[in-house]
Amino acid sequence: MILRTRFTKVGYLKYLSHLDMVRLFTRTFSKAGIPIKFSEGFNPHPKFSIGNPLPLGTESMAEYMDVELAERMNPETFIERMNNALPEGIQIIGCKTVERRASLTSIIAWSHYEIRFVSEKLDEDIYFEGALTRWNRLSQVNITKKKKKGKKKVERQLDIKPLIGNITYKGKDSEGFHVLSALLKSGESGNLKPIELVEAMERELELSIDLDMVMIKRLDVFADEDGEIKELA
Amino acid sequence: MKVEKPSRYIGMEQNMVQKNPDEVDVRFAFSFPDVYEVGMSHLGMHILYNLINNEPRYSCERVFAPWVDMEEQMRKESIPLFTIESKEEVKDFDFLGFTLQYEMSYTNILNILDLAGIPIHSRERGEDFPLVIAGGPCAYNPEPLWEFMDLFVIGEGEEVTLELMKIYDKHKKNGYNKRKFLEEVQATMEGIYVPSLYDVNYNDDGTIKDRFPMISGIPEVIDKRMIRDLDSMFSPEKMIVPYMETVHDRISMELFRGCTHGCRFCQAGMIYRPIREKSVDRLMELAEKLVDSTGYENISLSSLSSCDYSQLHLLISSLMERFEDRKVGVSLPSLRLDSVSIDILKEIEKVRKTGLTFAPEAGSQRLRDVINKGVDEDDLVNAVSYAFKEGWSRIKLYFMIGLPTETDEDVMGIKELSYLVKDLFFNRPPEERKGNFQVTASASCFVPKPFTPFQWHGQDTIEEFNDKINFVKGSIKDKKVTFNYHDPRVSYMEAIVARGDRRVSSLLYRAWEKGCRFDGWSEHFKYETWLEAMSELGMDGSFYANRSRDFSENLPWDFINPGPSKKYLQNEYTKAIKGETTRDCRLGCTGCGIKDCAMWGVFN
Repeated sequence: MILRTRFTKVGYLKYLSHLDMVRLFTRTFSKAGIPIKFSEGFNPHPKFSIGNPLPLGTESMAEYMDVELAERMNPETFIERMNNALPEGIQIIGCKTVERRASLTSIIAWSHYEIRFVSEKLDEDIYFEGALTRWNRLSQVNITKKKKKGKKKVERQLDIKPLIGNITYKGKDSEGFHVLSALLKSGESGNLKPIELVEAMERELELSIDLDMVMIKRLDVFADEDGEIKELA
Repeated sequence: MKVEKPSRYIGMEQNMVQKNPDEVDVRFAFSFPDVYEVGMSHLGMHILYNLINNEPRYSCERVFAPWVDMEEQMRKESIPLFTIESKEEVKDFDFLGFTLQYEMSYTNILNILDLAGIPIHSRERGEDFPLVIAGGPCAYNPEPLWEFMDLFVIGEGEEVTLELMKIYDKHKKNGYNKRKFLEEVQATMEGIYVPSLYDVNYNDDGTIKDRFPMISGIPEVIDKRMIRDLDSMFSPEKMIVPYMETVHDRISMELFRGCTHGCRFCQAGMIYRPIREKSVDRLMELAEKLVDSTGYENISLSSLSSCDYSQLHLLISSLMERFEDRKVGVSLPSLRLDSVSIDILKEIEKVRKTGLTFAPEAGSQRLRDVINKGVDEDDLVNAVSYAFKEGWSRIKLYFMIGLPTETDEDVMGIKELSYLVKDLFFNRPPEERKGNFQVTASASCFVPKPFTPFQWHGQDTIEEFNDKINFVKGSIKDKKVTFNYHDPRVSYMEAIVARGDRRVSSLLYRAWEKGCRFDGWSEHFKYETWLEAMSELGMDGSFYANRSRDFSENLPWDFINPGPSKKYLQNEYTKAIKGETTRDCRLGCTGCGIKDCAMWGVFN
């Protein structure tokens, strides 16, 4: 039986890498007494998979993980036992049984982010609305992607415009951060990191954003079914 | 991201203890002076951390050496060093305790003090700063750090740490005066050394003339502390589980303390005497609790020579049976080349098969007798043949070069043993060869250590080490045989500090000022800088590293009593030079001179 779970990753724990998360869950299953299925062979490992890895330093309210169990287990019991064993910043907030058809990484196509930043220049909401209008008029925005191919470093230009679903400005929050909401391509069919978007906006629009102080949180992820954005099954 | 691996600094791991500072009387900051993932692999830290936090009114928090990228950010932003748990400044704690596991971490200690905004020299710290203390194996020669530490703990720390905190608590509630506190603990406690209460005179040739207490009522000789009964001693039932991958990413369970083999190069084998074991019942109880509280998938049975544990078979089969369905494996950090080890392999391999490591230490039988490593070539042949039969194919062999009396022939033995292992693999029928064969011979450069029979021995010079390394390297021409070796320059500096006296503290300070830190990391070791520091101070490194000492010389650490007597060590050195061996003292006392040896009753 497969449980599809949704979990958070907030606070300091946003600094855990994908591999750290894999280690954490491996131990948590053991600690929480979850009857997880193990792979066969000399080096048996528990069968679970985490969807789209988050960039280091990004918080999330919508991480997904599929867990394969050797025995049936009530999703509520699973949540309770896991949350007792997990640290505060990482908690299971949803869990249901699914039929496995496709892997999480192949399903997840869009991520919805909240992006918070500070800028000396942007005191007026109206200024940003104007900037956003300019941004929307740009037909193409290229960024430089660096990739390592073996020992060689390869650079390529990528137009990020098709990777953006929408961007809206939400105003200033109580801590003085400007808040953006952005729906960005995420996963195998195209991926745009929120920080890459912010860097590109800073370059194109000169907003005086302090790039060391950008706070990003994933709020939700979605599937793409024939061009239609849908909730995860 | 400005620093790599930020999870080094965030804490919040499973089993971390965080107490409200307002509800605590004494706060202890425990520091392993290296980077997080190294420090978190150290069992002693997990013991003391849980021991102190078990006390309702005391707290223990961790602090490590920030990696160079983090240090740069901290200095740029003027961020003082903080602990992992509360993220509060280290300088606001009552104690800052360092564990001294290797000499090349000493510059990190100075750097940690500096980053914390704590004066580096003990004499510059008044009541407003934490008491800076240190313990661990390297504290047996405390003198190179004497200017920086307020006190040293000599020997095992479980009892003495809590006693210290208790006395400190009493002083704190009655108007704490640092000097009064230090005098009281030096006068009343066993296993404490307050360096500022002693002075040293030197001869014209630079050796020590005498040393003496500067106040009355304090001991001239410092006896080490030792736990008598390991079963009733505090043993941790949980361990902090790091998020990031650490050097030793598993449960560590200590089977016993001490070692009976009497290898003459080994400091741990001398200073942790006598041998004291935990019972199987106690270990099973601890294992159960540790697996439950951590979720770790492997238990490492860590002791100086784990295969010596008198109930090893029973313990391993009990552990395997108890945890097999939870997929928890058992591992031994090192195997001796003997029949016991071979049987143990049969048990362990059920779950996981990893590379095997053996430590013949020296390439020839003659030299293995000199160092009293009680294994011979037949042992190696048997152990390795068995391993191949059972499906292992990667073998690692550990050696030392620069051991006393070593000749070219002994050095060439490193190559010969490695080739022998290769032949043992390929002489098997092809259908019985499993896996991709590789033998790796690693050679470290021998560093004579205090409280070993070789403490009088002059270390090989860097040139001699390089000649020997090149000799072996040049002789190995086989892709299946890899030869690794340590940087002799690091071993030279290690030798200077390891057998250093009080004057070496100036060298450490100068080297740190000039930018030395993380000297145990090859990418950060700055040999030229160390040489500059020595020449600026007019110091001769060979006086400490390469000079052979006379038996009559006053050694800088002679005032510490580790158990085994100086007479015994002299006798062992004399026997070594003659190539005479000394039996394992389980087979009969060898007269090391330790007081009321607990194993006397066990093995006789």
